[in-house]
Amino acid sequence: MEQIKVFLDESEMPRQWYNIQADLPTPLRPPLHPATGQPIKPEDLAPVFPMNLIEQEVSTERWIPIPEPVLEKYALWRPTPLYRARGLEKALGTPAKIYYKNEGVSPPGSHKPNTAVAQAYYNKVFGIKRLSTETGAGQWGSALSMACQMFGLQCRVFMVKVSYNQKPYRRSMMETWGAECIPSPSDRTQAGRKILAQNPDSPGSLGIAISEAIEDAVGDPEARYSLGSVLNHVLLHQTIIGLEAQKQLEKLGVYPDVVMGCAGGGSNFAGLCLPFVRDKIHGKNVTIVAAEPTSCPTLTKGPFRYDFGDTAMTTPLLAMHTLGHDFVPAPIHAGGLRYHGMAPIVSHLLEEKLIEARAFDQLETFTAGVQWARAEGFIPAPETNHAIAAVVQEALRAKEEGKEKVILFNWSGHGYVDMAAYDAFLSGKLTRYELPEEEIRRALASTEAFPKP
Amino acid sequence: MNAQDILARMDALETRCPKLGHQVTFEYCRQESLKRPCSRALVCWNHRLPVEMILKKLVGEETYEAVFGGPPKSRVESLMEAIESAKQRCNAGGSGPREAPS
Ligand SMILES: Cc1ncc(COP(=O)(O)O)c(C=O)c1O
Repeated sequence: MEQIKVFLDESEMPRQWYNIQADLPTPLRPPLHPATGQPIKPEDLAPVFPMNLIEQEVSTERWIPIPEPVLEKYALWRPTPLYRARGLEKALGTPAKIYYKNEGVSPPGSHKPNTAVAQAYYNKVFGIKRLSTETGAGQWGSALSMACQMFGLQCRVFMVKVSYNQKPYRRSMMETWGAECIPSPSDRTQAGRKILAQNPDSPGSLGIAISEAIEDAVGDPEARYSLGSVLNHVLLHQTIIGLEAQKQLEKLGVYPDVVMGCAGGGSNFAGLCLPFVRDKIHGKNVTIVAAEPTSCPTLTKGPFRYDFGDTAMTTPLLAMHTLGHDFVPAPIHAGGLRYHGMAPIVSHLLEEKLIEARAFDQLETFTAGVQWARAEGFIPAPETNHAIAAVVQEALRAKEEGKEKVILFNWSGHGYVDMAAYDAFLSGKLTRYELPEEEIRRALASTEAFPKP
Repeated sequence: MNAQDILARMDALETRCPKLGHQVTFEYCRQESLKRPCSRALVCWNHRLPVEMILKKLVGEETYEAVFGGPPKSRVESLMEAIESAKQRCNAGGSGPREAPS
């Protein structure tokens, strides 16, 4: 029988996180404070983060030791297995070898606890009693709830009301782990009360939930705020994924040609890829690809690729077609496509051309996810499906070229609490809309326009 | 079909929201940000609806420009803004976060 999984022993678990800031060819531009235009200082962040995490945020030390109590908690599900996706390889008929890190084996089912556990620990040793955060679907909220319970912290999660009503099982998970899960907007904060006064039926938004969670932390000296993606220290904690993968691939005697991950805020992508970016900076020939969501005019034309218009990132992303030259992006693409949630480290690596980004439409990603489930068994999280769509594309390219490429990607989480999304896809709710533009235009041109919101 | 009917049909359409991580309706996206459209609405809906034309009609050119005209704020920028306004609310209002009624 051919080998499918590579395990590491607990004793082989990495003892340090890798900090890419030590190896960047050009340093990260310090983020500017929007009020002053000056670089953000540690004390600007102190009302919401403990100083030990702020130190990690700005550190340029290459290796940061993982504290023993964090390793102990990691050991509940880490090291995660490295799998070979032979079923998918066969289904695609590709000569490519596809490997993936299964981060879905953690208790909440994704990579998120890699940082949740670390953040809970650092807050605990800093003397904090309670953490506050926001969540949409609840992946992050549930990871932090579990982590807080592990270190005896209280946890309060502001869950966007529309998500709270739609995702009862994630909410139950948070409550099972002992957290308080509050639908946002709530009457707990001034920000929430103001919104409720204007619109008692407000479905909430991530922006409102962030305001509530931050106000909750700022107003209580024993509380701090916690963010599950984007920030440097979050990406740092996730690097355990890539460091383990390097050891596992070494055991097999292979090195990847392509490393891929899905990127929302960038944390699981960075977690797998940053150790390989380090190799690339030191001369290794490896392609590193972030897969992100977009809309796309036709599926058959393939995904777009994005580039920053200039190095200062003051202009929006330019969309370029990766297949064929017949597509001219509509002008609105330019304004809309720059992803505002992306981690500064990931944006910087894109500018430096150390990584590239490819975008996939949701129909394409769910198609890939279903193909995966049928070939490999595990049902992926819809976010993970973006990485799988990128892997499928790369593996088919390898088939066309007749190359035995080695592809490694991050299987960031399972989709078992997200079956409603699969249901929407399988029942055709995500298909393209057939209401003709001409009809909409005619209706809008008539005397009765839309009611004002 | 008149504009009201068309809007009702569009409002019922669903897509997956990359910010929230679940299905949302067009009705949500077009007024996500305190009744203004979500700044991702163009990207998320462009392939299914002539969303630029629809949003301009719905919210007016001025609001449309305010939402989509400039580069969107980065997450770190919006984090800093949220910290500043939370500090102001806590200092001014005095009450800060409130515990659950017991
Ligand atoms: C399973 C899974 N993968 C990926 C993501 C995207 O986040 P990030 O880009 O920070 O890894 C999420 C976010 O909720 C997630 O739950």
